[in-house]
Amino acid sequence: MKTRRLRIADVSLSDAMTMVVVTIVFVAVMLALIIFNAFFRDSIIDNAITNAGQSVDQVAVTINNYTDDMIEVMDRLYVNSIENPDSQEELFEDLIEIRSDIVMIATYDAHDNNTGIWSNSDTKEMIFTNLSLYSVPADAVDGINISAPHVVSVLDNEYPWVVTITKSAEETFSNAAKIAIDVQFSRIADYIDEVGIGQHGYCFIMDADGNIIYHPQQQLIYAGLKTENSEILNLPDGSHISDGVIYTIKTLDNSNWKIIGVTFLDETVNSRVNTMIIVSVLIFLLVVLMSFLSGRLFSRLFTKPVKKLSSAMRAFEDNAAGFVYEPVLGAIEVNSLSDSFEHLVKRIQQLMEEVKNEETTLRKTELKALQAQINPHFLYNTLDSISWMCEEGKNEEAVTMVNSLAKLFRISISRGQEIIPIDKEVQHAECYLQIQKYRYTNQFDYELDIQESCKDYLCNKITLQPIIENALYHGLNMIDEGHIIIRIFEDGDDVIMEVEDNGVGMTQEQIDNLFVSDITDKRGIGVKNVNDRIKIYFGERYGITIKSELDVGTVVSIRIPKITEDMRLEK
Amino acid sequence: MRNKKIRFPRLTVLWIIMFLVIGIAAVRFFGLNDTGAFFNAGEERQYIAVIGKSDLSAFWISVSSGARAAAAEYNLDMTFEAPSSEEDFEAQNEMIRNAIANHASAIVFSAIDYNGNAEAINEAINARIPVIIIDSDVNCNLVSCRIMTDNYLAGRMAGEQAARNNDGNLVVGIVNYDVNSANGQQREQGFCDAISESGRVSQIYTVNCVSTEESAYEGTTALLTEHPEINTIAALNEFMSLGSGYAVRDLGVSDSVDIYAFDSNVVSVGMLETGEIEGLVVQNPYAMGYLGVEAAYNVVNGHPLHSDHIDTTTTYVSVSNMYEPNIQRMIFRFDDPS
Repeated sequence: MKTRRLRIADVSLSDAMTMVVVTIVFVAVMLALIIFNAFFRDSIIDNAITNAGQSVDQVAVTINNYTDDMIEVMDRLYVNSIENPDSQEELFEDLIEIRSDIVMIATYDAHDNNTGIWSNSDTKEMIFTNLSLYSVPADAVDGINISAPHVVSVLDNEYPWVVTITKSAEETFSNAAKIAIDVQFSRIADYIDEVGIGQHGYCFIMDADGNIIYHPQQQLIYAGLKTENSEILNLPDGSHISDGVIYTIKTLDNSNWKIIGVTFLDETVNSRVNTMIIVSVLIFLLVVLMSFLSGRLFSRLFTKPVKKLSSAMRAFEDNAAGFVYEPVLGAIEVNSLSDSFEHLVKRIQQLMEEVKNEETTLRKTELKALQAQINPHFLYNTLDSISWMCEEGKNEEAVTMVNSLAKLFRISISRGQEIIPIDKEVQHAECYLQIQKYRYTNQFDYELDIQESCKDYLCNKITLQPIIENALYHGLNMIDEGHIIIRIFEDGDDVIMEVEDNGVGMTQEQIDNLFVSDITDKRGIGVKNVNDRIKIYFGERYGITIKSELDVGTVVSIRIPKITEDMRLEK
Repeated sequence: MRNKKIRFPRLTVLWIIMFLVIGIAAVRFFGLNDTGAFFNAGEERQYIAVIGKSDLSAFWISVSSGARAAAAEYNLDMTFEAPSSEEDFEAQNEMIRNAIANHASAIVFSAIDYNGNAEAINEAINARIPVIIIDSDVNCNLVSCRIMTDNYLAGRMAGEQAARNNDGNLVVGIVNYDVNSANGQQREQGFCDAISESGRVSQIYTVNCVSTEESAYEGTTALLTEHPEINTIAALNEFMSLGSGYAVRDLGVSDSVDIYAFDSNVVSVGMLETGEIEGLVVQNPYAMGYLGVEAAYNVVNGHPLHSDHIDTTTTYVSVSNMYEPNIQRMIFRFDDPS
């Protein structure tokens, strides 16, 4: 744990997945919003302007039609008063009767003296003020003037709001120089009230001086609770955006009235943007929730089992022998991983067990091989021979004998190493042969045939000696001219060490027996010991093979791999 | 290992919180400020009960149309109720209790009786229904907002005009309505204070009538018969104005008696021209109704009020200014055909 390298991010897979999904969705949603804002805002504004323009145009047309209609009525009255002056009063009465929107008709002489009032309501007994009396400016088209809205002040207990349409004529008609029609303003007002632009947009009418002629909320304006933007008076016809409000202005053809449409842009655009943002936020939250849930699912199927697996692996690493694996369950991939790991664990544990057993065997066999070297019988016989040599004055031979014995033991021990160079092993065998040769007073001779190139390869110590011992005691014992040949040569990647004797030979049964029986018949450690050690050390394909023919001799060949000291150290 | 297991989700949560914060900031940036409206869209509309003193006078018709305009603007359900008699505070109390029973979001109220309505108003406030007072006050200091004419100043306005228009000796008759109405008492006080400051007041006679035209007519007739030296009369509400106007007309004393009246309708405006009434103190009933419902909306929705007391405007109207465009707009109502 301490040696763990620094990780790029300490994040689990499912968390990473959640983050990635959340990030992608967030970026997508934000992009969508920005694009919506950038590209669609303009089109919504255009839409709103178009709508407002249409509404305002319609209002203008309606009011124009209405005033045109009234002007037409006025013209009729005027024409009639010239052509048919006698029927004039009758016509006024009929008109008042028929047209409910005409509140009052009044005529005035050239000095603005009232010459007649026609109305469905009673006039006041005494008229103090007449608000319906207007003078017509000289430049008025057709001599017609349309007044601002006002109340009728001449009726008894009635003060209806009207617009006065006045026509003056150069030549006097009948007894009147001026005809004034008071038209109920509520007709226009009702229509304006009905016009809606957008959710809270509306229309109002203003004259050229900035006086509000009619406003749907004029009670609020009169009560001082609301004001209109005073700047719009100076704006030309068309659409203007100011502070998120679209003002659409249109001046009427036949009067100085302006129709002004008010649209609240923020309301129109923002309500859509709002809806979109809210929907986006909901989508975003939903995605977050979903990715949490899928992350948890993922975690249950994958991350947790993998974590469990990895902690199992760590536990296995810490205590391989005592580890008991419990399979983890998750996705199919995880399950197969788990199965493989389980298999691996079993295999490794099995191998470990094998290695342990082999190690034990090796140590035991090694110990036996060493014990055999210090065989008291052999030592006694050798020392006895040396003592005889000394007595007989064969000092030189005795020295050689002692040296050989010393070398034999030194190489046997080899500082506790199991593996020694072949050269050493050959020396060991030679020492043994010399000693035996002295003891058996040249009853046999031997010959070494060692390829120079093989000397540096390694082999198990005490490999040749037991084989030679076998050859001496079992092979050559009965014959006088015993001959032992020791050959060492390369064979491809292997090295073969052969011990050949011309002794009595063995039956196949005897040969087989050598590999089975752990205990040699009489002395020495035997073929099995050597064979076992080679196989444990180098592998199954190495070891001893014996070819023997009765009365001809035996060839024992030992196959080992080519291993140098360097290769061993590398391992 | 245990530590890490706790750390991972926290990191993710931080990550998500970071995005949410950025998202909210962006939402603010795009000018989204009425998400509340979006989420409230499905909710039931709030119900505001407006309880007035009368449903006959032009004044109260104007109040109710102002209230209706505000209700329409703020998307509220609104009812306007008033007793048939302007003395019947018990009927008002009944209406308050009905509003409580109907789970009104707020009550906009004008008290007939300063003390008599207090208990019912307290019941409403105890039921967590905010109360907005318009026009006439009630004896309760827990109401959310008061929107009314400063009646003392309105009385003073009439008194000052009366003193200005007559430089002789002043004999004053006060035609007041219900003695329990805070409005009338304050107006009377203001009128008397202002006119007395002239130092030319020799006597003040007061008559209290029921708030009807007939009662005012009888009251004024009796007052003038008993004290024919009276040359200045203060008529303190719409019905008092009409009653005393008719009384003066019928007694044929319109030249010698000046009436200073409160509120307006087409008849009292006519009397300005014919000379029975010298001047009208006109309140702003439309604004009262509108502001009353607006304040109720703000209180119910937790928006702060600018003030817990709003004075609405009063205007003095005489024959000389009655046809000025802004006065026309004030005293002749657009939506009123008569």
